[in-house]
Amino acid sequence: MSAPAIEVTALSVRFGVIEAVRDVDLTVAAGAATALVGRNGAGKSTTMRVLAGVLPPTAGDVRIGGLDLRRHPLAAKRATGYCPDVGGLVPRATPWEHLQLAARLHQLADGWQEHARALLDRFELGAAAHRVTSGFSHGMGRRMSVVLAAFHRPSVLLLDEPFDGVDPLGVEATLEVVADARSRGAAVLVSTHLVELAVHACSEALVLRGGEVVAATAADELAGEDGARTYRALLA
Amino acid sequence: MTSIIVDSHRALTDVVPLVQFRLAGLRGRSRRAAGVAAVVIAGLTLAAMVVPAFVPGAVDSPQAENIVVLLPTAYLAFLVATTIALTVASGGRELLPRDEGVAFPISPTTDHLGALLLAPLNIAWLMQAWAILGATAYVVGPSGLAAAQVTALLWLVTATAVAQLVAWCVEWVRRGRHGLLLVRVSGVALALAAAGLVATGLVTALLDRSPLWRVVLVALSGSDGGWGRWLVGSLLLLATGAAAVALGAGVAHGVARRPARDESRAEGRTVSARPEPRSELGALVRTDRASVWRSVPLRRGLVVIALLPGSIAAAGRLEWGILPVLPGIVAAGAALLFSVNAWCLDESGALWRESLPVRPRVMFAARVLVQLELLGLAGLLTVLVAGSRAGGAPTGAEVASLAGTVVVVSVQVVARTMSWSVRRPFAVDLRSARAAPAPPLSMASYSAYLALTSTLTGLLFTLTARAGGPMPALLVALPLLLLAVRRLLITARAWETPAVRAQVVATVSVC
Repeated sequence: MSAPAIEVTALSVRFGVIEAVRDVDLTVAAGAATALVGRNGAGKSTTMRVLAGVLPPTAGDVRIGGLDLRRHPLAAKRATGYCPDVGGLVPRATPWEHLQLAARLHQLADGWQEHARALLDRFELGAAAHRVTSGFSHGMGRRMSVVLAAFHRPSVLLLDEPFDGVDPLGVEATLEVVADARSRGAAVLVSTHLVELAVHACSEALVLRGGEVVAATAADELAGEDGARTYRALLA
Repeated sequence: MTSIIVDSHRALTDVVPLVQFRLAGLRGRSRRAAGVAAVVIAGLTLAAMVVPAFVPGAVDSPQAENIVVLLPTAYLAFLVATTIALTVASGGRELLPRDEGVAFPISPTTDHLGALLLAPLNIAWLMQAWAILGATAYVVGPSGLAAAQVTALLWLVTATAVAQLVAWCVEWVRRGRHGLLLVRVSGVALALAAAGLVATGLVTALLDRSPLWRVVLVALSGSDGGWGRWLVGSLLLLATGAAAVALGAGVAHGVARRPARDESRAEGRTVSARPEPRSELGALVRTDRASVWRSVPLRRGLVVIALLPGSIAAAGRLEWGILPVLPGIVAAGAALLFSVNAWCLDESGALWRESLPVRPRVMFAARVLVQLELLGLAGLLTVLVAGSRAGGAPTGAEVASLAGTVVVVSVQVVARTMSWSVRRPFAVDLRSARAAPAPPLSMASYSAYLALTSTLTGLLFTLTARAGGPMPALLVALPLLLLAVRRLLITARAWETPAVRAQVVATVSVC
């Protein structure tokens, strides 16, 4: 049996006296999508940053595609696509320049351009491909971050608050990206505080509170009014 | 009228909590360093005001007489330099950065007063102020010193207020229709007029007619019992300064009502796609280079720093042997534009960049290369401009010394600023033309350190320029270069530590 695409064991992240993430276990299989939900400050983005290789964990093990993130950071990053929770764009570079940089560092073969253009069009960013991103609206920035996370077809897709401030067409395009990734066997982790969309995008859900996992459930369990009641009870 | 007085009073009182807010942001080592910097600045200012008066030769030596003659020029140079600095910074630094202040009702008057308050917190302003205070003390001597220094201080305040007023006026024009073009054309015309004056040899005659000798006379009048003249002159200066502050506040309101066109244009600009980069390093260098040249304050600052000191040196016909001191000053000035907080170029994009599969050392090398390129280019341009009127061809020793100083100070400055960037990152939004890469007090200490070390290195190369051949310059350059490279390598190693990078990325990506 192949290793899970994402495997997190006893993850803890401490900032001085604050323990942002405590003893989190998390597994996402290839082709599956899991939602990380919880209130602000629950530890969702910190967990995502650790998985993206941006933040070293204080304790615990993280494996991406079977690779220990601590020992093989570059290989793990090659397998990952990450949309950060804030910004995520170099302010004075254009979307196309972001894509060129990412393509070079991910060592993509020539031909990536066509797929990138299609993705930009899907997110209605084709016309803005050569505009510097500092002039982008918040929603455009979010959409572009999703494009950057997905365009190199990573085997692990990490989307942190991808729906935040995004219009319905952008949300639809993001859901399509998640579905596409799953269909080609990628593991997807979506962090969001918008539970309805998390339920829509994912099959599993982990509820975080105060840096700890308080529930691991099928995403459907959080759907509808009953799901909302359950969710509120978990957050209380 | 009453509402203006009420608004002005409120704006004035708003400055206090803003200053307190900024100071509250300083913690631990930064707070202690700021305290030390404040004490050092106050101590040096007091020393400049008093010590030269008691130096042998003060008051009646031939040297003192020469300085009296040059004092009006020094007063004028202070006004001109401060005006240029504040104009380039679109009205000076902000007490509270735009993105932080957007939620608060900060009036343009408060902003104006904050910019005035921050104007002295840079080494160029301080060095000139100390030179003026020191020269005034030297020519006056102990008798009448206090009165003379009161006038000199009033001049520093008034000149800064006038410079601030001019800067707001230029910014108001710049933000108007065709304003960018108008300001650029005016800038070029002024530069050409200055070049014309230099070429026709009229500069000295013009400086002799500088009205600022009246200010100098007021400063000196206390020492020969002319208290009436001193009082009237000082009060006039005070009134001029107060009027400039009040007018500046009015123009600042006008500026606030107009959109910043160059910033808007920079944000809305379209860039032609370029061919794919050939290497990882090339791709990173290209991104970093674009981040610098597409930023309004960085581009504007680099152009001025690369051209202004060289032009002044050319106007003064500085000889080849003195020129090695210039690249250090230029490198220090250019580094203060962003290098002291080099990772802030990425702002919130730092999170995404850090998630990309590239060795940290390559990312570090790209940022170092871009800075070396900018500092080296600025230094080279300065030498070329200054050398255009240096007279005759430089000797081998002079060429080696100039090349040595450009290379050494560039590497030295980048080594130091990369170390600061890794150890003390700040969240900064470089879109605003008024943005600085670090808080005001940190900028003051950075500028003091860089100016001192770069000038010392430059002075060392002015000595090697007098040698009979290029070898002494090379022998001086080599150890300095090795020391700087060693520092760079130590910082590069620190950058490879994931926790260190995470701290930098988390800090700069807040913007």
